[in-house]
Amino acid sequence: MDLNKQGEKNMTDAPLPAFVLENSNAGHTSFPGERSALICFIKADCPTCIAIMPLLEACFRGMQDKIDIHLIGQTLQGNLELADKFDLHAPLLDDSTLKVSFVYDIEIVPTLIWAIPPGQENKRLEGFDKAEWEALLLDVVEQSQGSNRNTTKFPAKSESTGLLFDWATLPKWRPGCASLSADPVIAERLQAEADNNPLRARKIEIAATDDAFEFMYDQGFSDGLPLVPPTPERVLRMLSGTRREAQELIAKVPPNMGEATIEKIAVNAVMAGAKPEYLPVIIAALEAACTDEFNIHGVMATTMGASPVMVVNGPIREKIGMNMKLSALGQGNRANATIGRALRLAVRNIGGAKPGGTERSALGNPMKFTMCFAEWEERSIWSPLHVERGFNATDSVVTLFCMTSGPVLIVDQTSRRAAQIAGSMGMCLTNIFHPKAQMVSDTLLVVCPEHLDTLARDGYSKENLRNRIQEITMLPMADLVVDDNSGVGIPTDKFANMSSEMQQSKLPKFRSNSDIHIVVAGSDAGKFSGAFHGWATGSTGSISVSKKIEET
Amino acid sequence: MTTILDPTNESIPVERSLAKRNGLISGRLALLDISKPRGNILLKKFENMLASQFPDIVITHYAKPTFAKPAPEALRTEIRDNNDFLIEALAD
Amino acid sequence: MHDTVWFEIQGVPSVAIASEEFEDAAITQANALGMASSKCVYVTHPIQDATDKEMQEKAEAVLDAVILALTQI
Repeated sequence: MDLNKQGEKNMTDAPLPAFVLENSNAGHTSFPGERSALICFIKADCPTCIAIMPLLEACFRGMQDKIDIHLIGQTLQGNLELADKFDLHAPLLDDSTLKVSFVYDIEIVPTLIWAIPPGQENKRLEGFDKAEWEALLLDVVEQSQGSNRNTTKFPAKSESTGLLFDWATLPKWRPGCASLSADPVIAERLQAEADNNPLRARKIEIAATDDAFEFMYDQGFSDGLPLVPPTPERVLRMLSGTRREAQELIAKVPPNMGEATIEKIAVNAVMAGAKPEYLPVIIAALEAACTDEFNIHGVMATTMGASPVMVVNGPIREKIGMNMKLSALGQGNRANATIGRALRLAVRNIGGAKPGGTERSALGNPMKFTMCFAEWEERSIWSPLHVERGFNATDSVVTLFCMTSGPVLIVDQTSRRAAQIAGSMGMCLTNIFHPKAQMVSDTLLVVCPEHLDTLARDGYSKENLRNRIQEITMLPMADLVVDDNSGVGIPTDKFANMSSEMQQSKLPKFRSNSDIHIVVAGSDAGKFSGAFHGWATGSTGSISVSKKIEET
Repeated sequence: MTTILDPTNESIPVERSLAKRNGLISGRLALLDISKPRGNILLKKFENMLASQFPDIVITHYAKPTFAKPAPEALRTEIRDNNDFLIEALAD
Repeated sequence: MHDTVWFEIQGVPSVAIASEEFEDAAITQANALGMASSKCVYVTHPIQDATDKEMQEKAEAVLDAVILALTQI
């Protein structure tokens, strides 16, 4: 329906808006705009509307052959109740979207409009004044072609005889109730729709005496750090960062399954301090987070203290000024800091995941504030992460990895051969979860340029590195048995029941090479790589997910 | 006044607190008629009773153009700037 | 309620007066507006066909409640 709101009531030049509405007979009723019609807007919880329903029904029965009669109800449930209560023959039209009420500028129910060709509003009555209604209905009958007041079955004046309706049963006058379409919150939404304003989020007015920053803390919107107030102006500016429709639904965010529209994501992005050009990354990240594979609900809820790490690949890194070099995993870069924070705030605010609520992390984790960086693809000798994961090198992609610890530093300043550097990395990774915990988790290994150079000198591929890590972390089954030093590991009775072949077998740290994710980042100086330790990997925990970022 | 957009899924209303009260009525009091019939009689009676009970307060009558909508911004601001208390009547 | 909630936010203690028929609607609206504690005092129904004298009696009946609403949280 493409309707334009009438500026003024009783306008004689602008034609009445046409409409098509579903009626209570499971069909559609249309009003083309230029026909004669009596249009009455009603609301089931308005006592005045209820009082005049018998009159409206009588009008329909007595006048429908002379003039179209459209009774428009503002709620579907209310229509059902009215039809039932008054045993109506008159179909009730469903305007529960309130779009017709809005374009007709209805402030009060009941409102009776007498439409005459060619699309003019001849008369409008608000509330119920018996004398006015009688006069109007009589005029309608008199002006109907071929009508005859003696034979019409129209409900006419109470003193007349032989009529179907007893006007004496009606109150002399009732003011009516506010139209639902005039409710401020609803009216604002309807006006925004009519104006093509992309914003639909609830507006919150902060008192002049209130401090906006304190207010946002009080509402629980914050992760503990100050937020940028998401004013409509800032959110509109943020929305300029994407071509996508503001009301497009991106994901349902657990635990509340809140609907993450582009607009809601933009509101959280503003609060996080992001710039509009970061928005596509944040949108893709939230989309990735809310997949079954990534399982953001589990990630945020686990008592282990897990959190997403975001790795950004592709041309967008440069475009939005992400840091992938010195201090890539640290502070000081707005894109890195705010993209990661925006994702977390969106999960918190749209999904409702908050510490003490569904977030049950024993210690928490500073990465729950933010953790986002870019891969230094140009410095790498290998295919970048997103290409390994099936994307084109020219695609911009965000990959989410679920971490529980890290970045744990791999300090090796002396190895001169690739096998030694790779060996050090493997040795440092044995601590994921626990030195006796094999094949339960995964890792995101961030290789620093100096280590990379050593690996490159010996022609190490990513696969060589993975194989070496698996080789170095391999432990005999006997070393994994529970003992006096630690209760973690294979229970002694279980080990005793194993075949000797099994007892002598070895287990690597990772279930497969694909559980070792490798990226390159960091400064040219410093022989320190880093490893993010994963959570439970696989379908019971979290699997890394990559999403292509929309290019604007 | 700052207006912000709700960052949540809007399932929970934003909680705001009442203005401070100090246990007594003093200063300027606004009587806002929402313009539904009969409310004016009620408000007039309030004026008489409050004036005799609190002889020092200044009472001003205001009226909304329609009961169907909130008071227009200009009227709200005028009332706020010139009053310390508000009684609004009569929703029926 | 939209008005009184706005005035409360602006620091002006406010009370809305409604007919008792509106109590459910008023409570629902106050909650939706995020101010469940906003003040509303109810007078007895009916209103529209009440005489002036009856309206004045309704005012007398709730005066204390109105004063309380404006002076106590």
